[in-house]
Amino acid sequence: MAGPVSDRQATTAPRSATAWALGGVAVVVVIGALVRFLEQAVPEAAEGTAWAEIAEAVEYPVYAILLGLLGNVVLTVTGLRERLSGGFRTEFFIKTGLVLLGASIDFSVIVRAAGPAVLQALVLITAVFGFTWWLGGRLGVDDKLRALLASAVSICGVSAAIAAAGAVQAKKEQLAYTASLVILFALPSIFLLPAAVDVLGLSPAVAGAWIGGNIDTTAAVSAAGAIVGEEALQIATIVKTTQNALLGVVAVALTAYFALKVERTASARPGIRDFWERFPKFVLGFLAASIIATVVIGVIGSDAAKPLISDVNAFRTTFLILAFVSIGLEFRVAPLREAGWRPIGVFAAATGVNLAVGLGLAVLLFSGVTL
Amino acid sequence: MSAPGTPADPDPARSAGDVPAQRRLALNEDWAATVVGLLLLVLILSGLWPGWLVP
Repeated sequence: MAGPVSDRQATTAPRSATAWALGGVAVVVVIGALVRFLEQAVPEAAEGTAWAEIAEAVEYPVYAILLGLLGNVVLTVTGLRERLSGGFRTEFFIKTGLVLLGASIDFSVIVRAAGPAVLQALVLITAVFGFTWWLGGRLGVDDKLRALLASAVSICGVSAAIAAAGAVQAKKEQLAYTASLVILFALPSIFLLPAAVDVLGLSPAVAGAWIGGNIDTTAAVSAAGAIVGEEALQIATIVKTTQNALLGVVAVALTAYFALKVERTASARPGIRDFWERFPKFVLGFLAASIIATVVIGVIGSDAAKPLISDVNAFRTTFLILAFVSIGLEFRVAPLREAGWRPIGVFAAATGVNLAVGLGLAVLLFSGVTL
Repeated sequence: MSAPGTPADPDPARSAGDVPAQRRLALNEDWAATVVGLLLLVLILSGLWPGWLVP
């Protein structure tokens, strides 16, 4: 009797986890639909009133993140959030959105921006990773946690933290903590950086490069870029995607450092395969989408391609909305409360260095770039 | 005092299986996003995706 019962339990558990995850996706989609509705209905309703300008200025990322956070509170209070969390797939939604974004970027723009983007990414990652690693050491932060913090703040937030956690075999709590910290810092950046761009009077290319090089999560980069404008969004995406591509290099370097120096397990020597495993594959999708769209536009002409690219953009916006909603739903306060102030101090100081060095590099490398 | 990761001193992250599992999930999501994104793109650009299904 024990066999069939335990077999049944074993098959029922994953099935119920899948059902809850699908429920989570449904929650994200429903909130996403509400965001779409508000994005169109609010400016229409405010037309001719004193609120018209504000209503026009509030873009979909703002509604999506705020409604996501509101949904987070409601689901936490009702005790459903943890069960549904399998459906809050920020990474999948944002990466699909970015692959589709590739279609609206002429491949020649990527080629033109690639040089400065690679240079900026290399200098910025080296400077910010080095500073965070050094400061974390000075403040006595655990080696694995400071590897996670340094990767997250210098490369691309949660993806980098996940890759670094795999590379150094960090604890689950350290990853949850770093991910929460990334989101905690990314949320205000979405609104503060576009405001700073206005105050500093930066050109769209410089603004995009600054945003792409500074905000940690790819989703938040897209949100801030979208607030500044389409040109800034394109450059921000190219810069962020370049950083994402360098994630493989940093992850392999960390694997080597921890395997050969910190933990001295010579058997874990990293190779080309490790690099490929850690390389963010959606970067290839982004490049492929840009090449496919550039070829199609060349063949059928830009007038005929315009409505098709506009349909692709509608899907891109939808996936980005789902990603921003997921960011709000995924945010957790508990890991931050538990870990104390020191890692937060390291992360905050590293963010400051990232902002200053990133602005200097963006002005230096992207002032002459036009789309 | 055996090396981390050996049976005598299992690494907490490995024994819990959380971080490697999440990494695999993230890698799968990379491919899933690439396939879904490119499939949608090709369907739309080739005119096979119906207009009424565009969000």
